[in-house]
Amino acid sequence: MIKRVYKFFFIWELDKEEAWINDMASHGYSLVSAGRLSFDFEETEPGQYKYKTLFLKGNYYSKKNMDFFSFLDDVGIKVTSYINYPGTCCVYTRAVAEDYPDGINIYSDIDSKITYEWTKLWYMLFCAVVITLGGLLNLAVAMNRSSVWPLNFGTALVCFGLAIVCTIQFIMSIVKIRKFKKERAIHE
Amino acid sequence: MPQQALTEAVYYILLSLREPLHGYGIIQNVDELSHGRVKLAAGTLYGALNTLVEKGWIDALPENPLSRKKEYVITNAGTEILREEIARLSELVDNGKRLMEGK
Repeated sequence: MIKRVYKFFFIWELDKEEAWINDMASHGYSLVSAGRLSFDFEETEPGQYKYKTLFLKGNYYSKKNMDFFSFLDDVGIKVTSYINYPGTCCVYTRAVAEDYPDGINIYSDIDSKITYEWTKLWYMLFCAVVITLGGLLNLAVAMNRSSVWPLNFGTALVCFGLAIVCTIQFIMSIVKIRKFKKERAIHE
Repeated sequence: MPQQALTEAVYYILLSLREPLHGYGIIQNVDELSHGRVKLAAGTLYGALNTLVEKGWIDALPENPLSRKKEYVITNAGTEILREEIARLSELVDNGKRLMEGK
């Protein structure tokens, strides 16, 4: 039986989303499909699966990503669901917990972790710029006293708020990359 | 030019591929060889295998109709690299022992 749960996560909350999905799995609800606002779960044995969410460059169906998913499948990690965004995609993978008792780890070397963080960093920068431009446009319309200027003003405020959050995520990625690079200087 | 040090992941991957193995087999073999110390993650292994194939250190074998999992095996060039790395590691260990233990 499929249980549908309505929940929303921002794109930068992928780690929080993963923790929630794993928590659901530990209670016997394993994700089978993820949408922007809803998640479908099947009833399974509690803790039967471990989940890992991935943020990848390019469309889900790009050759590069399809080759990667085929390899993941070979090592027992199956793609359960995905969401395409402009220029990127969020992928939900799962593996039988018996095969991955410590959870699914996709990158174990520092260089891959840095590359993964760069992907997130550029996307957050892109989002921050686009949302800021949207905010400025709405602010300009509101300043010209359009008939719906309060709506434009409110939208501009929301856009600026979201742009600030994207910028914070961008800065957090920079900090992580610097930390990884420092670590790489002494460790492999 | 002296060979640059291999990463621990690449070293163990090459060592594992003396016999044809697929991805999950490599992960398990590396885990076993290192007594559970080196946990090779799937994305890291995928990147390393692609690079090693490009360099000609390993070969991707034609797909086996009985198992759709892709298998890999070390090439002569890869074996040579592995030998050089073992010599380099021996030098590191010998020098360490000589200086630390006064041998």
